[in-house]
Amino acid sequence: MSIKADIKILVVDDMSTMRKIIKQMLKQIGFTNITEADDGATAWPLIQNGIKDGVPFEFILSDWNMPQMSGLDLLKNVRSTPGLEKLPFLMITAEAEQGNVVIAVKAGVSNFIVKPFSPETLKEKIEKIFK
Amino acid sequence: MSINSHFIIFSKPFIDAAKNVFETMVYTKIEPQKPSLKEDHLSRGDVSAIISVSGIKESEPPIENKIYEAILVVSFPYETYFKAAEAMLGEKYDSYVPDIHDMGGEIANIIMGNAKRDLKLLGYSSNYEIPKMLVGMSQLITYPKDTSIVIIPIKSDHGTFFLELCYFEK
Repeated sequence: MSIKADIKILVVDDMSTMRKIIKQMLKQIGFTNITEADDGATAWPLIQNGIKDGVPFEFILSDWNMPQMSGLDLLKNVRSTPGLEKLPFLMITAEAEQGNVVIAVKAGVSNFIVKPFSPETLKEKIEKIFK
Repeated sequence: MSINSHFIIFSKPFIDAAKNVFETMVYTKIEPQKPSLKEDHLSRGDVSAIISVSGIKESEPPIENKIYEAILVVSFPYETYFKAAEAMLGEKYDSYVPDIHDMGGEIANIIMGNAKRDLKLLGYSSNYEIPKMLVGMSQLITYPKDTSIVIIPIKSDHGTFFLELCYFEK
C-alpha cells in the first residue's frame, strides 16, 4: 500500500462495536495510528486540538447517524475550517439510499461506504481517496 | 393479521438485508426457517435488539396513503451472540461484557438501514429510531396491543437466532 502506515486516523462512531470493527479492519489493511471518538461532538474538539498542537488528523472515517453531532455536520465543520478543505473524509452509513450520497457529495465528502462492508471494500474506498 | 402475502412482501427487505449483513460482517450464511405467529410478547433469546420504524405506505390514489409502524427484533441466545461477536470482532467471548453490548443493536441498525432502500421501492417511506437492547430471556418486549407478531427462526454457522417483525397501519 502506497499510503503511509502511520497516517493519523480518526474513527468516529457512536457504536463501540462498529468502532472496534473499523479499527480492526484498518489494522488489517496496515494502518497503525488510529484514534476513536464516540460522536461528532467529541470528534470535533479532537480535530481542532490536532491542528492547534501541530499534529492534525490526516484521515477521518465517520458514521452518519450519531445522537449529538451527525457525521454530516462534522463534515460541514471540517470543510468550513481553513486548511481542512481537502482533508480525506470517508462517510459510513447504514442507509443505502442514493439521496444520502448526493447530500454527502454536496457537503464535500471524499468517499462514501454503506454498511455492511468487508475489509476489501474498505481498502478499495481508501485507495480511491488517496489515489 | 395472519401471515398473508402483504406481510411476506413487507418482511422480504428485512430478510434480504439480514442475509447481506450476516454474510458480509458476521461471516456466516443464514437460513430463515418457517415463520409463525408469536402468541406472547416475551423475548426468545438472551440478547435482543429492538428497533422501531414508521412512515407512509404510498397508494394510488395518494389519498389512500396510510401511516404505518413496524418493529424489528433480532434476538440471540447467549451462545449464538458470543460466537457472532467472535466472528465480527475477532476476540473470543464466553460471558456478556460491555464490549459486546451494542453489537446486536448495530446489526439491527444495519438491517434496518439496508431494508429502508428496498422498502422505498415497495412504496414505503421509513424513518427508524436508535435500537434498544434488552438483556435476558423472556423479557417483555413492548409491542403495540392487538397487533400480530411474526417470528422467524434463523439458522447460521454461529447457532440459531430469531427475527421478529410486527406491522400495523393507523
